[in-house]
Amino acid sequence: MSQVACFHCGEPVQTGSQFTTLINDQLQPMCCPGCQAVSAAIIDAGLTNYYKYRTEPGSKQTALVPDELTTYSAFDLKEVQQDFVHTSDATCNVSLTIDGITCAACAWLIEHKLKTVPGINSISVNTTTERALVNWDPTIVKLSEILTLISQIGYQAAPYQVDDEEIQSKSNSRKFLLRLGLAGFATMQVIMFALALYSDYFTDLDIEYRDYFRWVSMIFAAPVVFYSAQPFYFSALRSMLSGRLNMDVSVSIAICGAYIASCIATVSGQGEVYFESVSMFTFFLLLGRFFEQNARQKASVSSNNLHKLIPLTANLIDAQGQHSEVPAKRLKIGDLILVKPGEVIAADGELVNGRSSINEAMLTGEQMPVAKVAGSQVFAGTINVDHPIEVKVTAIGQDQLVAEIIRLQEAASNNKPKVALYVDTISNYFTWTILIVAGLTYMVWKTYWPEDAFWVTLSVLVATCPCALALATPTAVTCATGLFTRIGVVAKKPGVFEKLPKIEHVVFDKTGTLTCGSLTIAHIELYSDLSEQRALSIAAALESSSLHPIARAFEKYRDNSILTHKNRNLSGLGIKANIDDGTFFIGSARFINAELNIELPTIGHQAVYLANQANLIARFDLVDEIRPDAAATVNQLKAMHCDVSIASGDSSSHVDEVAASISINSVYKSLKPSEKLALIESLQKRQAVAMFGDGINDAPVLAGANLSIAMGSGAAVTKNSADLILLGDQLSRFVDAVKIAKLTGKVIRQNLLWALGYNFFIIPLAVTGHVVPYIAAIGMSASSLIVVANSLRLLKVRV
Amino acid sequence: MSIIYVLIPIAMLFVLIAVGIFFWAVKSEQFDDLDRQSVSILFDDDIKKPKEAAQDESKPL
Repeated sequence: MSQVACFHCGEPVQTGSQFTTLINDQLQPMCCPGCQAVSAAIIDAGLTNYYKYRTEPGSKQTALVPDELTTYSAFDLKEVQQDFVHTSDATCNVSLTIDGITCAACAWLIEHKLKTVPGINSISVNTTTERALVNWDPTIVKLSEILTLISQIGYQAAPYQVDDEEIQSKSNSRKFLLRLGLAGFATMQVIMFALALYSDYFTDLDIEYRDYFRWVSMIFAAPVVFYSAQPFYFSALRSMLSGRLNMDVSVSIAICGAYIASCIATVSGQGEVYFESVSMFTFFLLLGRFFEQNARQKASVSSNNLHKLIPLTANLIDAQGQHSEVPAKRLKIGDLILVKPGEVIAADGELVNGRSSINEAMLTGEQMPVAKVAGSQVFAGTINVDHPIEVKVTAIGQDQLVAEIIRLQEAASNNKPKVALYVDTISNYFTWTILIVAGLTYMVWKTYWPEDAFWVTLSVLVATCPCALALATPTAVTCATGLFTRIGVVAKKPGVFEKLPKIEHVVFDKTGTLTCGSLTIAHIELYSDLSEQRALSIAAALESSSLHPIARAFEKYRDNSILTHKNRNLSGLGIKANIDDGTFFIGSARFINAELNIELPTIGHQAVYLANQANLIARFDLVDEIRPDAAATVNQLKAMHCDVSIASGDSSSHVDEVAASISINSVYKSLKPSEKLALIESLQKRQAVAMFGDGINDAPVLAGANLSIAMGSGAAVTKNSADLILLGDQLSRFVDAVKIAKLTGKVIRQNLLWALGYNFFIIPLAVTGHVVPYIAAIGMSASSLIVVANSLRLLKVRV
Repeated sequence: MSIIYVLIPIAMLFVLIAVGIFFWAVKSEQFDDLDRQSVSILFDDDIKKPKEAAQDESKPL
């Protein structure tokens, strides 16, 4: 039988699935009740066009979410809303982050589903940032209803508090676009008139027309100088106030000086004008910086989008045993809260009633849930996996472990080794040199030929205009950033391109970095005459009632024809359920020993046993699979003379197994976040260290390393502190990134060499008054164009 | 040649209009989501039909 793909999400439809939806008069197969419900909701709303125009399949609906999770009623509480809902007039505004947007059709689908709802005034969905802006009338429709409507068509929405930093960066980038566009329009016009003016050198242009063209050019160049070039002036002022000179100082002097002098020339009718140089120069510089800024902003928006770690509400149990939903920030120490399975714990506390296993992956990076009994510590942000528990709150707000780790990370990022940037250093000297040379030129000419002094000084400033020098790094970095984006690597912080080639030691975290972070079945040992297929199907049916990560390993073997009843989930042990003829057990050796009254040997690795009332049926050995490209990546790194080590929080023998299989010799086990940081610091004394990580526990370490790399599937905090993010979770991309960075460094050095060479060549000529304006303009433009063209070569690199 | 005294101001006016349109486009967030705007023309034309059809179907029920 050939595999059928789900019409909604594209996942293979498992055997025995009977889910279908009638779309455009055709029954389409669906893989699960979730996809069926979602597609039915889309068709019922008359939004069939979604299926017609989408370019990507929808996101998979992992079964229907249990009832307690689909009720968004907590978001209707006033105290919860005040953090992210803005009320104006009688309507409310909220920003939502939406999970599951795959293409533009999704945005259309959400907008049209919600536009028909009475009470919703407007909704706009942005597919790039995966956000929606909703304006609604709270008297007609509640926020919880809006969220439920979105979840009906298969997306998970959550209110998002847009932080000030992001609002700021968004308005900055819009202003930048305005400046750039204006400079572009004006430059085109000014160059047109400049061509007419240059013809003056070859044919005679009437003074009358020449002056007219100059006045028009002056008008067109004005907005460029007064509006578009503003960022350079402010940057120059800031650097001068802090006692350093950056490139923007000489850029500003050149722009202002050339413009003022050209204005004087225009008004008096004497001397030369440089309007086109001024405009073109500004436009090129802005263009380079715009691309750079955009790439950086995109990376930060997508990592900010990940939902907050700590939930907004908690289930408070009062003295009478009554449950009520309260905002998490109103919890006090000593309060008792109820945490249902699947929920995120709202505050640090002590488990007082019940037993369950908790997924602490957010804190420790370990996917395996930790069994907790009364008296155990539980932490905010971790997920309760199997049973409802009651927790007594012991820490709130800034005292919680998550807050502690975030603080540690901030402290570490402040101590970050300062790698001197090429251009900062060079531009400092370069600017000083230009200013001193220009000053000396002015004094000498003033003494001997006072009438030409100003013009010669200005031609020094314009001809040595650091255009090429200023473009040398940004253009190369922009091209390399584009290349990075193409291979799925996000360079989040500036300076990555200088740090990458210098890396001498790469440290990997184990879980989620070298391994995939999810369990798979590596080996099946059969003890009875049941076939492997049958054993797997039974195990999958038993596990289907569990949310445990182990259960996920069995998910793909699910056969819908096997039905279980009387399921009993025994926390930390296993599952007991009835199938047709008898009772089956699946779980740990301890569980099976107790149920069957036998003695199973203990084995080194993670294993799950399947048994019926009488016999043991099978043993499933589970492993956290090593990423397929891990070994190749390690080899390539070694070939580049990089040392490689593993630093893991895990203490089990699995770490050694992983290390052996991908030939890593130095292994550091059972390290706490602070110990990892200490390890990195001791390594840093000898070598430049790059650190790979994915859990929150890695965040401080990542911030402390010379260069940090986060996996795309990692936690939000980790990505915020990382320099590089590998989006596709392919380790080998890191090696490509190093190669690109080395090449980028080479191109930057070539660019700088060329730009400085040009300047050293032109300075003597300009100082002696031998550079006529059009030569200066052509020389300056040519040197910039060569730099840009050289940088563009990077885009042709194939990786 | 003196016609340029009329033509250039007209050209400047056009540039001014172009800049105005550009500013309006940026301020009305047309450049915020480039993936989206390029395909939005595909949708919407026949959106009313399926909606009416859906309503018609639901009426007899």
